[in-house]
Amino acid sequence: MTVGPRERGTDAGVGGADPDPVLEVAGLTKIYRGRTGNKVANDAIDLTVRAGEIVALLGPNGAGKTTLLRQVAGQLLPSGGRVLVSGVDMVRHPLRAKEFLSVIPQECEPKRDLTVDEHVRYFALLKDGGANIDTEVDRLLGETGLSEHRHLLVRELSGGLRRRVLIAIALAGARTRLLLLDEPTTGVDPEARRSVWRLIDRLRSRRIAILLTTHYIDEAEYLADRVVVINGGRRVAEGTVEEIRRRLPYRGRLEVRGIDHLTPAARELLRSLERKYRVAARFGNVERLEIPDPFLESVVTDLAELTRCGALATLSPVSLEDAYLSMVGSEEGELPA
Amino acid sequence: MSLGRSLRQTVIATRMLLKESTRELGLLLGFTVLFPIGILFFLNVQVPAAERVQVLVGTIMMEMSLLNVNALAQSMGQDKERKIFDLWVSLPVSPVVYTVSTAMSFLPFSLASAFVTLAVADMGFGVALPLVLMPELIAGLLLVWLSTLGIGFLIGAYGRTPRQINTYAQLVGILLTFFAPVFYPVSILPPVLQGVAYLWPLTWGSVFLVGILHGDGLTVLRAGAVLAGFVLLWFVLIARGVRWRQV
Repeated sequence: MTVGPRERGTDAGVGGADPDPVLEVAGLTKIYRGRTGNKVANDAIDLTVRAGEIVALLGPNGAGKTTLLRQVAGQLLPSGGRVLVSGVDMVRHPLRAKEFLSVIPQECEPKRDLTVDEHVRYFALLKDGGANIDTEVDRLLGETGLSEHRHLLVRELSGGLRRRVLIAIALAGARTRLLLLDEPTTGVDPEARRSVWRLIDRLRSRRIAILLTTHYIDEAEYLADRVVVINGGRRVAEGTVEEIRRRLPYRGRLEVRGIDHLTPAARELLRSLERKYRVAARFGNVERLEIPDPFLESVVTDLAELTRCGALATLSPVSLEDAYLSMVGSEEGELPA
Repeated sequence: MSLGRSLRQTVIATRMLLKESTRELGLLLGFTVLFPIGILFFLNVQVPAAERVQVLVGTIMMEMSLLNVNALAQSMGQDKERKIFDLWVSLPVSPVVYTVSTAMSFLPFSLASAFVTLAVADMGFGVALPLVLMPELIAGLLLVWLSTLGIGFLIGAYGRTPRQINTYAQLVGILLTFFAPVFYPVSILPPVLQGVAYLWPLTWGSVFLVGILHGDGLTVLRAGAVLAGFVLLWFVLIARGVRWRQV
């Protein structure tokens, strides 16, 4: 199976998601009180995740992603607002609400001296009580590709396989409807990352709602039906990847490399292009120009001319990363108008 | 959540954690056998025969209480460091299930250690232990163990890092060793410190076990009632999830 970017719609019910929300977060606020003052980690955040939908929380370090996830998971008491999991209030009835969710905390390590089979078996028993436990363990190990490793101790596994053990634990339980993944691929190698992505992607067929946090833009692009961008504890954008991309006032970008070593003709041409388009960024030996919609056709000619003058230039559509950086990088934390 | 389900979950979690403990069997067995022999020998060198029961009780209190307080707190510290604690908190499992099962994963080793201590005291140091006392003694050991469970939980719950938890556990251990007289009778303390000593379950545990070994029914009942009160207090605190969910 190949992993590719999600096909995205523009309406709310994307990715074949059910209309009924599995997770409803309303006005969720978390204030940490400290000696030097209060810090608002989450500021009145609203969020909904439906069955079969994958929603990615994107944001820089300290934006409040993990705080949000920990409140949803019942690990942290909110200062205000409401969290409903399958209609059950997490603050008032945590044990009932937790019947419907599973969590993989950030940088969580399974127990080193238990085998893969023991982990899945005991956690499944804790959740469901154990009718047909052998069948359930076989199914979970098969689904996560761990069958051949079942008798190994966790300390004998690679980082990627350990992550799979946590996913297998999280999938145990017939009532699980919501999966919370806090940076599920941080610290694993690129190959293992993709295998975890494939595993998460396959969970759509089980109609499980997934809320994940990530630093990796490509992870959100590949997996998420919807993206919620958080910055400074506030939700600054929400939508499909396409919707968020469209909020940028330009559609393409022209990147010129090796600007310190351009031929005189190429340098002259680049100067004229800088007057025509806006310079979005200049870092090291690279210059990036924003190409607004009306110029998308004419820029192809500019690109050909730059190449003819010996410059190394590429033209590409704007990415989620461009939109994300414009949001979290701007002073107000808002998208440019 | 029903009591039946909680009990079932406690059994499941205990089996899981015992499996983990038994993979460090050599270490635990070493502790089980060497600890009581060493401490009994050391403490009996200059102790008059009449006070050997108190030394025996002190050793058992170390095994059933202080070391368990440490083991529970440090287990929670390790779980926090590996973030598996967060996973437990997000399970539909009461904090009582987690606490009791974690503590129970060390209980067989503590009990074994206590029995080795009793056997050594009986055979090597002239402390008579008739078999008829055994049922009462076993029930007593379990009550003593339960009555200090909450101390380990509170240290583990309030400490944020393993290092912090380790420091708290050592501090509490020192406090308990000096202010809860287990190796000597509470009566030899100055009156003010006696009042402080009676605030700790370990003091009552010591009085309780001495009462059992001396066949003093009234003392056993009185100290047993206080210990039961401590058990109730801890269970209420743990069940209410003190620091289970962070604030």
